[in-house]
Amino acid sequence: MLNMKIDLEQISRLANLELTEEEKKILPDQMEKIISWVGQLASLKTSTEEKYTPIDFSLRLDEDEIKKSLPQEEVLAMAPEKEGGFIKVPKVLQGK
Amino acid sequence: MGKKLFEAGLVEAIELVKKGEVRITEIVEDYISRIEEKDQKIKAYLTCTFDQALSRAREIEVKKEKGRLAGAVIAIKDNIVTKGIRTTCGSKILENFIPPYSATVIERLEAEDAIIIGKTNLDEFAMGSSTENSAFFPTRNPWDIERVPGGSSGGSAAAVAAMEAAAALGSDTGGSVRQPAAFCGVVGLKPTYGRVSRYGLIAFASSLDQIGPITRSVEDGALLAEIISGFDPKDSTSSPAPVAPYLAGLKDFSSEIKVGILNEESLKGVNPEIISNYQNIIKLLDSLGIKWIKMDFPSWDYALPCYYVIAPAEASSNLARYDGVRYGFRAESRELSEMYLKTRTQGFGSEVKRRILLGTFTLSSGYYEAYYAKAAKARQAINKEFEASFKKIDFILTPTTPEPAFRFGEKQDPLSMYLQDYFTVTANLAGIPGISIPSGFTSEGLPLGIQLLGKAFSESELFKFAFLLEKNLNLKNNSSEINSLGRRKNEK
Repeated sequence: MLNMKIDLEQISRLANLELTEEEKKILPDQMEKIISWVGQLASLKTSTEEKYTPIDFSLRLDEDEIKKSLPQEEVLAMAPEKEGGFIKVPKVLQGK
Repeated sequence: MGKKLFEAGLVEAIELVKKGEVRITEIVEDYISRIEEKDQKIKAYLTCTFDQALSRAREIEVKKEKGRLAGAVIAIKDNIVTKGIRTTCGSKILENFIPPYSATVIERLEAEDAIIIGKTNLDEFAMGSSTENSAFFPTRNPWDIERVPGGSSGGSAAAVAAMEAAAALGSDTGGSVRQPAAFCGVVGLKPTYGRVSRYGLIAFASSLDQIGPITRSVEDGALLAEIISGFDPKDSTSSPAPVAPYLAGLKDFSSEIKVGILNEESLKGVNPEIISNYQNIIKLLDSLGIKWIKMDFPSWDYALPCYYVIAPAEASSNLARYDGVRYGFRAESRELSEMYLKTRTQGFGSEVKRRILLGTFTLSSGYYEAYYAKAAKARQAINKEFEASFKKIDFILTPTTPEPAFRFGEKQDPLSMYLQDYFTVTANLAGIPGISIPSGFTSEGLPLGIQLLGKAFSESELFKFAFLLEKNLNLKNNSSEINSLGRRKNEK
């Protein structure tokens, strides 16, 4: 049985998530339990070393041709903030 | 006509329109009043599209050549995008999202003149088995409103069971069509991976997700599956294999089949009423002269841990796109990295966060081999076991769920909720089709479901067998008796 410690602070940083005080209390225990449960897999001797692939037909390539795409204004319509045909985001780098 | 139009199933309603006995607008109006009357209690719908539905009905009525689904009033799980109709995925992060395009399945339904009556509730991003994880509200089981309808396609299953739609579409990543279908006493199909286009299905776990129909009868399911199946160049995993005429072929059942049933070991810990119902179905096979053998599926023991590595891993990657930049919710922030962090923290609910964290962990450096790579091998072992089994048998019969519909708040521990998927998850891992059909009732009158699994692309055969069982069980029209929306006591 594999039972690795999860560093929730580091994992949440990688996932771009902040934990609330409530989650900081509940999550470590829940995650430990889940991870130890899925850790059963480690002791499993699988009959194959092959990894699963979901489809058994070869992926096709699309023809290189111009197709109609969605109009710019329709795509931008759902952007939270936009300006002059661009999506606007807050400052990327913080100035001093 | 003695009965209300919403009481007619999908195929029946289409026939009535074809014969000119009813107008499509009458059917739509009947469903609107049904929803207005019942949905305050059931809460199956997140968004209703009554005005669009009525104007579409008027357009279709005057068409000379009508499509195969003219007269069909259909509900759509709210993780399938619909052009111009809000699609929330049950999440705050997409609360106001109005898609600029429709999923391929929606285009196929509309091309055949189906009418969309609304978008149904689900567990946020289809992660859950009860709809309790919806960011908006839980849906109630029409058979007992104190109980969950199952999930994640709980809104779709409840809408069909309460006759608030003739049929619905759901999606199934680990059992999300079949489990709610069983809890609500309706039919649910998870098609073969690649059979139905996933273009426009909001991605949860892309190697497992499939869209499937939820209907009141096998016949209705066969028709709906036939329309939505088939090759789609917009989905790279879509299969080019031709689609058989599921509906027309329903009656061509050959009893020269062999069914694999589960041994006692596999049924350990399963609710006794589920086991006794399962045994009744096996007796039914005997009375129909259908051969069966007991089988051992050792790999099923690790199917759930395997699934709970693969699905969260894929989800953590798929859900990285919700960053507040291009669409959906954006949290007020001073700079970009803060915007990502705040948007995701405020936009996602706790189960979604839990799965993103779990997936991020199993994919992170140092853990990948131990978890993800191991799960991918376990998945192949499960797949090989199915392949070997289907050389000896044609179908596998299982209960759909380990227990009947449970009460709200009963499963607080995430792991106990995950165990709900025990019988359903293997089909997603191996990419094979599975169908759940109503198979009886508990002593309290809650519906039960039985699952049939078949080899890849055997939907046609699954429907035939399910049709035969449904006919002999004769439970078909029970859902039409739910008028009080309360549990029917002692119904067996």
